[in-house]
Amino acid sequence: MEPVTQSLLYLDNVSVVFDGFRALNALSLTIDEAEMRAIIGPNGAGKTTMMDVITGKTRPTKGEAMFAGIHDLTKLDEAAIAQLGIGRKFQTPTVFDMHTVEDNLLLALKEDRRAFSNIYWRRTAREKERIEILLERIRMTDQRFRKAAELSHGQKQWLEIGMLLAQEPRLLLVDEPAAGMTDQETADTAELLRDIAKTQSVVVVEHDMQFVRDLDVKVTVLHEGSVLAEGSLDQVSANERVIEVYLGR
Amino acid sequence: MNGTGFIDRKGWFFIAIVLGAAVLVPVANLMVPEGSPLHVSDYLVPLLGKYLCYALLAVAVDLVWGYCGVLSLGHAAFFGLGGYAMGMYLMRQIGPRGVYGNPILPDFMVFLNYKELPWFWWGFDWFPFAFVMVLFVPGLLAFLFGWFAFRSRVTGVYLSIITQAMTYALMLAFFRNDMGFGGNNGLTDFKDILGFSISADGTRAALFAASALALAGGYVLCRALVTSKYGKVLVAVRDAESRTRFMGYRVENYKLLCWTLSAMLAGVAGALYVPQVGIINPGEFAPANSIEAVIWVAVGGRGTLVGAALGAVLVNAGKTWFTGLLPEAWLFALGALFVLVTLFLPRGVLGLWDTLAAKRAKPADTAVPAAKPAE
Amino acid sequence: MRILRATRSGIVSLALLMFAGILFLTPATPARAQGAAADPAGTIARFGTDSYGDTEAALGALSVSGDPRASEIVEALRDGRLLFDPQTKAVFLRSPAGAVTDAATGAAVAAPPAGLRPVRMNNRVRRAVDAAAGALALVSPDPAKRLDAAAAVFKSRDAAALPALDAAIAKESDARVKTALAEARAVLIVGNPSVAEAERVAAARLIAARGDQEALAALSNLPADSPAAVKQAAAAGIESINSSLAMWAVAQNVWYGLSLGSVLLLAAIGLAITFGVMGVINMAHGEMVMIGAYTTFVVQEVIRTSAPFLFGWSLAIALPLAFLVTALVGILIERTVIRFLYGRPLETLLATWGISLILQQAVRSIFGPTNKEVGAPYWMSGSFDIGQMAITYNRLWIIVFALLVFFALLLVLKRTMLGLYVRAVTQNRRMAAAMGIRTGRIDALTFGFGSGIAGIAGVALSQIDNVSPNLGQGYIIDSFMVVVFGGVGNLWGTLVAAFGLGIANKLLEPFAGAVLGKIIILVLIILFIQKRPRGLFALKGRAVEA
Repeated sequence: MEPVTQSLLYLDNVSVVFDGFRALNALSLTIDEAEMRAIIGPNGAGKTTMMDVITGKTRPTKGEAMFAGIHDLTKLDEAAIAQLGIGRKFQTPTVFDMHTVEDNLLLALKEDRRAFSNIYWRRTAREKERIEILLERIRMTDQRFRKAAELSHGQKQWLEIGMLLAQEPRLLLVDEPAAGMTDQETADTAELLRDIAKTQSVVVVEHDMQFVRDLDVKVTVLHEGSVLAEGSLDQVSANERVIEVYLGR
Repeated sequence: MNGTGFIDRKGWFFIAIVLGAAVLVPVANLMVPEGSPLHVSDYLVPLLGKYLCYALLAVAVDLVWGYCGVLSLGHAAFFGLGGYAMGMYLMRQIGPRGVYGNPILPDFMVFLNYKELPWFWWGFDWFPFAFVMVLFVPGLLAFLFGWFAFRSRVTGVYLSIITQAMTYALMLAFFRNDMGFGGNNGLTDFKDILGFSISADGTRAALFAASALALAGGYVLCRALVTSKYGKVLVAVRDAESRTRFMGYRVENYKLLCWTLSAMLAGVAGALYVPQVGIINPGEFAPANSIEAVIWVAVGGRGTLVGAALGAVLVNAGKTWFTGLLPEAWLFALGALFVLVTLFLPRGVLGLWDTLAAKRAKPADTAVPAAKPAE
Repeated sequence: MRILRATRSGIVSLALLMFAGILFLTPATPARAQGAAADPAGTIARFGTDSYGDTEAALGALSVSGDPRASEIVEALRDGRLLFDPQTKAVFLRSPAGAVTDAATGAAVAAPPAGLRPVRMNNRVRRAVDAAAGALALVSPDPAKRLDAAAAVFKSRDAAALPALDAAIAKESDARVKTALAEARAVLIVGNPSVAEAERVAAARLIAARGDQEALAALSNLPADSPAAVKQAAAAGIESINSSLAMWAVAQNVWYGLSLGSVLLLAAIGLAITFGVMGVINMAHGEMVMIGAYTTFVVQEVIRTSAPFLFGWSLAIALPLAFLVTALVGILIERTVIRFLYGRPLETLLATWGISLILQQAVRSIFGPTNKEVGAPYWMSGSFDIGQMAITYNRLWIIVFALLVFFALLLVLKRTMLGLYVRAVTQNRRMAAAMGIRTGRIDALTFGFGSGIAGIAGVALSQIDNVSPNLGQGYIIDSFMVVVFGGVGNLWGTLVAAFGLGIANKLLEPFAGAVLGKIIILVLIILFIQKRPRGLFALKGRAVEA
């Protein structure tokens, strides 16, 4: 198939309507390979719905959503989209509470996802090595045998980011990664994300302006389901409309 | 799991008891003379065998509920279908010894003026075919049901209620005379199995041993499944289904495999149950039976397999004891069990044991975090 | 009638003279009996000869005589109370109470002669008695009796009734009765070869216009040698009747469906609150219905023993009591068990199942395992017809009642403070608590309210179902299906689902049979839920995820 676009993620004119309510209204957005983008906007601006459309949870009422130029995201389900290389971290950290930190990462590793083959699975040396590296990167080597349920909120956030990395996605969607973190953890998270963005594309939804400033990337402001402004944080902060609807005077 | 393989200490203990019973109970029944305190009576052998079949059913329920989060209120359907498949084999074995003496048609068919054997009875006179059907029929129903249900992402209580409706519909269907399964009365008056008289002591002892072997085998199979990476994914599905989906796992396939396998285990349990109690009728499909199986699992400890089997034996032994003593009180006791276990024993007897053991080991330590409640 | 009354005195005064005359009459033939029609006393005297032929002839004459005492005499003959004196051949009539009167005059006879013997009958005479009774009923002063008599002739297709029928039609003034008589006459002539063809065709059309099962039978039983035109008219009639009957059959099934739907609605409506609004999976819901039905039983028992005159009001008295009893049981369950399990639907399911077992066994221990007799007040019994469709009062009232309960419930939820609090608590518990609503109390009240509604459903269902400890079990799956099918949390959905499922079930029954029909419906619902897991009228969007 001929690529429709050079962008990694290409949303064009996407609308989602729930019972007459327009959650997304002709939203258009492109993310390039190895680009990090911050998305901000007031509550109900459509940030979560946008993520839902990209990951296949919600089908758009109309519009186009392409990944890597050839995959039509509106036709695929969550599992297929995840296998294409789109990883998602939710607003509230969702890790597998009853599994150990190590098993959480193991389940996330980019390996065969089929039910039958996983019955006969044996841990390979390569898997072991990758888990070691990931544990190191999210600084949880000493927590590896603890159950995820016992972790602190910040640790769960990091574990989830680690799981996201284990999937080796080409695009990471990260929803409010800094929520509920201490200042130090927030700064560390920003650094981790910048590091990831060297090789992979990252879309970060965030409310914390300081965190967005730390990321130092292009910002897209959503309002009422469509793009209100786009540019550097300073540019959008100066935008009259953005100040009016979001930042406040 | 650390070096000891996929069966833990509790598991080995369980297997040892079950296999020990498989040998000792028949021996104590057949070899130990009556009157000896070690003698197991002829009445007790099929009763204990029945408990083991229930235990296998409980293990099957625990596999889907404990590890996959699917609360089935319809496992009696799979148990019953397995039982009917075995019952059909046993009916064909009666041959011309029925009341009407028809060499081909079972009595109820003669009575209902059947002219020939319905097609779905073909082949059931041959044990290997019947055995395959014991696995295949419940498996097929579970597969079809699960294929629809899991694909359309029916979960939680909704799923539970439609599983209940499924077994209810089957019950209504099997009550009909023109279904060709003996209607109200079901299948009964069995004579022999594999050439042995079904009421002979030796056959009963052998059936008991077979039930014990099936339980041990079922346990090992489930245990292998839940300790594999597949099993880890199942637990992930149970605790955070959509997260698992977003990681690229096709949740419906994982559920479907587990669900179908569980149904087949339930079918085997039903097939072993029928020759030991001597009858199968549509009452086995009653929704109440399915829910009772769930409470066995809850009593023993959900998500432990061993606990499920333990719970089944405990509750049924209690039922036998109670109904003998105070028939009126049994339903009160069972009802209270449902309420008390959900309120005060969310992890069942086995969970209570673990908590107590942990406290004894490290008296000052904080309690083990409670199991995440269902859903 | 007026003419008859006017002649009565004349008849009485002439009776004696006539009596003398009949002694000279020879044994009668039917032809001569016709001639005696104008001579009532002579007719009656023929009963005195004790000859079967005379008796039969007298009956024939009596049936067309217009004598107001004719039916009394025919009745007496049938019951063996028509007596004659073998000596004098005088005919007497003994009333059921034993008083003897002169058959011809009706005058009381103070000292009846000894040796009176009943007029004898054989089978021929018995048939004649029946025919005479039928013919006499055709001219009875009571229009309802005339209508019944016409219907009886229509059914029996007895050609012998034709003269009586003709006589009755000539005299009839009531339009409805006249139509019925004309239809009866049409049945008698349509197959009669001695009647003109055109008249027979007209008769066939007249029968067809009646459009019911009996008309169909009358048209189908045409003699094979009937003229083509008559046959054709009959065939056309049969066809039109069949299609109209089919239509009525559908209408009747829709009615049964509405009736079943109202039962489903009643059973599900309480659940629509506890499950639909509160999200509590209450498997003991059916037992609330059962307790409501038993409350009705107890109320009726008390009324029977201590205040029988109140029986007509028993259901009205049982309603508030059933509501109170089940609401209290519901509140008790909520406070002791369910409130600890909020947010854990599967545990709630198991615990409430346990409660249902306890409640069933409790009722079984108190009242015994057998069905209890719950009586119907007079206004709930009987039925009436609309066209070809029978409507029973109890079903009609239950439909009305179900709708009343439904709309009352809507009002409570939409218009009262309780409803406002309920909606507030179910939509945002923490916010509601922050605003000073005592959420625990609202939970208990709401659950009690839903249970109470189930209880009053039980009062209604006690009228059509067996009141036994297992009563509730039959409803639980159906109720859940209705609520889930309609869309959880949507009361209107519950209404539509209840009636939709009821009607679908009853329309399937003629083709599939009752059990298979139910199975098909269950399977269809299962498939439907799998297609639309949130029901018919589901809320969409983010609200669902909460």
